[in-house]
Amino acid sequence: MSTKQELIAYSDLLKLYNGKCLLDIEQLVINHSETLLLTGANGSGKTTLLKILAGLNTPERCQVHYQQRTFSWKNARLPTRLPAIYLHQHPYLFDASVSDNIAYGLRRAGYKRDRTRQLTEEALIWSKLEHLADRNAKQLSGGERQRIALARARILHPRLLLLDEPTSSMDQSACEQTFFLIRNLRHEGVAVVVTSHQIQQLRLLADRHLVLESGKLHEVENSKHGVKPAPHKTGTVRVLPTRNQRNPDHHG
Amino acid sequence: MDSLVDASKQALMLLFSGDATLWTIVSISFKVSAQAVLYTAVLALPLAFILAYGHFPGRRPLIALFNSLMAVPAVVIGLTLYLLLSRSGPFGNLRLLFTQQAMILGQMMLCLPVLVAMGHSAIQAADRRAWETALTLGASSWRAMQTLLFEVRFALFAALIAGFGRIIAEVGSSMMVGANILNHTRNIPTAIALETSKGEFSQGIALGLVLLILALLLNTALTLLQGRGEMIA
Repeated sequence: MSTKQELIAYSDLLKLYNGKCLLDIEQLVINHSETLLLTGANGSGKTTLLKILAGLNTPERCQVHYQQRTFSWKNARLPTRLPAIYLHQHPYLFDASVSDNIAYGLRRAGYKRDRTRQLTEEALIWSKLEHLADRNAKQLSGGERQRIALARARILHPRLLLLDEPTSSMDQSACEQTFFLIRNLRHEGVAVVVTSHQIQQLRLLADRHLVLESGKLHEVENSKHGVKPAPHKTGTVRVLPTRNQRNPDHHG
Repeated sequence: MDSLVDASKQALMLLFSGDATLWTIVSISFKVSAQAVLYTAVLALPLAFILAYGHFPGRRPLIALFNSLMAVPAVVIGLTLYLLLSRSGPFGNLRLLFTQQAMILGQMMLCLPVLVAMGHSAIQAADRRAWETALTLGASSWRAMQTLLFEVRFALFAALIAGFGRIIAEVGSSMMVGANILNHTRNIPTAIALETSKGEFSQGIALGLVLLILALLLNTALTLLQGRGEMIA
């Protein structure tokens, strides 16, 4: 089942909301360095799914396959928390300076002060916001906040970034800058799952496109190259029934 | 009216002449109430956080209980603590009755519901993204809680000041479990009650002034702090 490209896989994921089934996903495999576009109607559970993947929202059941081991979702929270970082639609920046915000994760990881300062400066340069280093983060614009949040996540070398509508309510240039940073992350080997309503722009960026509908994930043809996804990738993101499934319900 | 003016003049003279008895009373009051609010905060803030972010049966009744406990009269707390700490009570052998420790305990019981209820509303009103962001950036639950508490620090300061205001001015509990012993358990409110009953209004007014000035200073400090917070946000 697993290929050498596989980063993390989630299977048998069930999430109820007010007693109704919100998510029922048989399998979701995410590979190294790939960008996934996740779309779906409002209220279809995109944010909930990303939060479950990030270990922030508790599903009814879910198995996580990571580094050749299988964990229950609860047990997987710790090993996957570090490689997977979730970014809110409107990222939350702590009531502190921009530098302190970027350094937050490094401090939690126990980096020494000098090393933290050095890495923080590099991250500010990466996000092209070094002139804002000492500004209180609450004073920034939406686009700047998004870039700071990306830099704050990137500095921790995540294997998987989960971006929830990163470009909603942004102007064109802020969008471009955010897309540029996402593209950079991909070149650095980070897998990215991004939800968005701006499908056209993100299709150019994404390796594949998943649609969430009635709690199920479908993979749809990505029009980036005008053709279906390349054969060597078709087996990597699967929405397939598990082997033991009695009633396979195959979508896509 | 004349007697009030005279008493006030004498009160100011007492305050500024550095009357030892008066300032001992003031320092006991501060020492006891500051310790009480500090110890209570250590207990109350994690409790308030658990009530806001925890999912367990009985959470809502517990919140309602703390809200109602805010209205419990100080004398009732004093009476309860007196019964517990008196020689024949279950904790009698600790010999805490009529000590500053007993006063601290009484004031903690009075302060706890205020800090839990106000802390809970502050944390409940906080942005949940702060908690999730801290977790996803690798903070432990304990550390993420500290981050969240820091984010709502102005509201928590207000809770601390309200709690301190509740206990620095209470008579009932301090009188019953402290017994108003000079240089030992006599604090501002019990001294005011005593001096007034003796007809010694000047010392009562002087102590009352100290309380008023204190309230003014604390609230000014809080307003300034919150003003800074608003400028940033």
